[in-house]
Amino acid sequence: MMSDGETYRVRMTGISKRYGPIQTLDEVALHLKPGEVLGLVGDNGAGKSTLSKVLSGAVISDSGTIEIDGKAVSFSSPADARAARVEMVYQDLSLCDTVDVAGNLFLGREPRRSVLGVPFLDNRRMHDETRAMLDRLGIVIADTRLKVENLSGGQRQSIAIGRAASFDPSVLIMDEPTAALAVAEVEAVLELIRTVSARGVSVILITHRLQDLFLVCDRIQVMYEGRNVAERRIGETSIEEVVNLIVGRKFNARSARASRDEAVQP
Amino acid sequence: MNATSSSADMAAPPSSRVRKKSWKDVALANGSVVSIALFFVAVCAVFSLITGSFLTTPNLLNIVRQSAPLLIVAAAMTFVITTGGIDLSVGSVLALAATLSAVLLQAGLPWPLVVVAMLALGAAIGALQGFFIAYERIPAFIVTLAGLSVIRGVALLITGGYSIPVEPTSLFVSIGRAWFLGVPVPALLALAVLMVAYLAFNQTPFGRYVTGIGANTEAVRRAGVDTRFMTLFVYILSGMAAASAGIILAARLGSGSSNSGQGFELDVIAAVVLGGTSLFGGRGTIIGTVLGALTVAVIGNGLILAHMSPFLTPIVTGTIILIAIWLNFRLFKGAVRSR
Repeated sequence: MMSDGETYRVRMTGISKRYGPIQTLDEVALHLKPGEVLGLVGDNGAGKSTLSKVLSGAVISDSGTIEIDGKAVSFSSPADARAARVEMVYQDLSLCDTVDVAGNLFLGREPRRSVLGVPFLDNRRMHDETRAMLDRLGIVIADTRLKVENLSGGQRQSIAIGRAASFDPSVLIMDEPTAALAVAEVEAVLELIRTVSARGVSVILITHRLQDLFLVCDRIQVMYEGRNVAERRIGETSIEEVVNLIVGRKFNARSARASRDEAVQP
Repeated sequence: MNATSSSADMAAPPSSRVRKKSWKDVALANGSVVSIALFFVAVCAVFSLITGSFLTTPNLLNIVRQSAPLLIVAAAMTFVITTGGIDLSVGSVLALAATLSAVLLQAGLPWPLVVVAMLALGAAIGALQGFFIAYERIPAFIVTLAGLSVIRGVALLITGGYSIPVEPTSLFVSIGRAWFLGVPVPALLALAVLMVAYLAFNQTPFGRYVTGIGANTEAVRRAGVDTRFMTLFVYILSGMAAASAGIILAARLGSGSSNSGQGFELDVIAAVVLGGTSLFGGRGTIIGTVLGALTVAVIGNGLILAHMSPFLTPIVTGTIILIAIWLNFRLFKGAVRSR
């Protein structure tokens, strides 16, 4: 299965997940090389988010295997995935409103200093490092002691992305990272994706903004009703083709001009 | 959320958007603590004016001595409520610890062993309830309501409804009656618990996760924290706090009664909520809880000194709870961007 002897950063095979009567994922595969940016697209409910949550440890699949850098892993919690340096920006951002900016950035890995054997928060270091991190990512937030509930949508999104990108991930999953962003901020996020992938970080980008895919992705994987239906290198496809792949048979049935989407037929 | 303004937020230089915090900003940001502090001062002022004996050292020490169980349990309850939970069983755990410690002392066990055993019992009860809440996902209200009933029942069953005397010469009673450096020992114990609680709540990762769990449990779980154990642990804390309150009460009164601590859980919750901790979770303050507990204690004490009917206490306490929370909502609303 290896292509030209190179190890895949991520190789997921035969991933299935059932929620009650609904087969959310049906024998889905996904592979990703170091430094590659993969666009994961599909209609709502196609299983993109569930597949990425399986990789981030937030959802446990019913069957299937995950390999990271050639080693089989099994994630039973997000902590396991974090230990394997898989980070995810969730669609709902996963921020604690009543905790401040620095606290959210460092949630789960707060710098500590031990006083008499008791771990205390090292608040000074946390705020200093937060300031440095925000500056490095070009995120403008006046005060790292502000509670997240007092920030704008774009700032909240920036914090969620900054949190995932700042801790030296080897795989970065972004579920709709640009959904609530203004134009300039979308550009900043895309630039960030280019920067981290140039450093060798593999990125999975889930988005409905197809134009973004063509700006940053190397490859696109299309899902439909819980299955892989197509895969395209970005240079060999077009927005029209991707749209047709995403809407799949529903679209074909209505249109007679389905000349270029034979590939859709399973 | 305001997405349209976000580009402006991001682009503007920070200097023009942040002014130096004035005392007013600080007061607004901590509105709940400020409002309970105002109430506390007002209540103290009123009782100082209408009774001569309120503002005397012996009386003030008496108040902190009597309110030690309330302060200790309210500190632990602040953690529970900040996670978005509740523990209704603390009054029953208090009664069980009070009666069992009297029973065990009568059976001839040494008092340090009794104290350790009671704390372990409180922790075990908390762990059991916490298991059903955190791992089996049964609402805390239901689990601890069942606990309230069962644990009180066990205490009644053990004593047959009688109260069990504690030998007044035992060193055990000094936990509730002794004075050290001119201060009652229960007050010192409460002070120690409150200081530990304050540090744990504000300065440790554990306190951070307690707040985070109340605000967004899933976010904390995704950050790799064992949220279920953290949730279970806050009930261990409240169980242990209730058991130590039972020990202090039995020691001070010189007997363990299975009827003690009836309605205690409501006083505790009142103190915590008065202090500004949100029943919805995610927002808690130990300082506010201390002020809330002392306000409840001062009202009870002051009404008696003023020769008013003690039955006025619940009326006044309830009224103040409603007005304080109402003030929080109205006066200090500007502190939080409404969503």
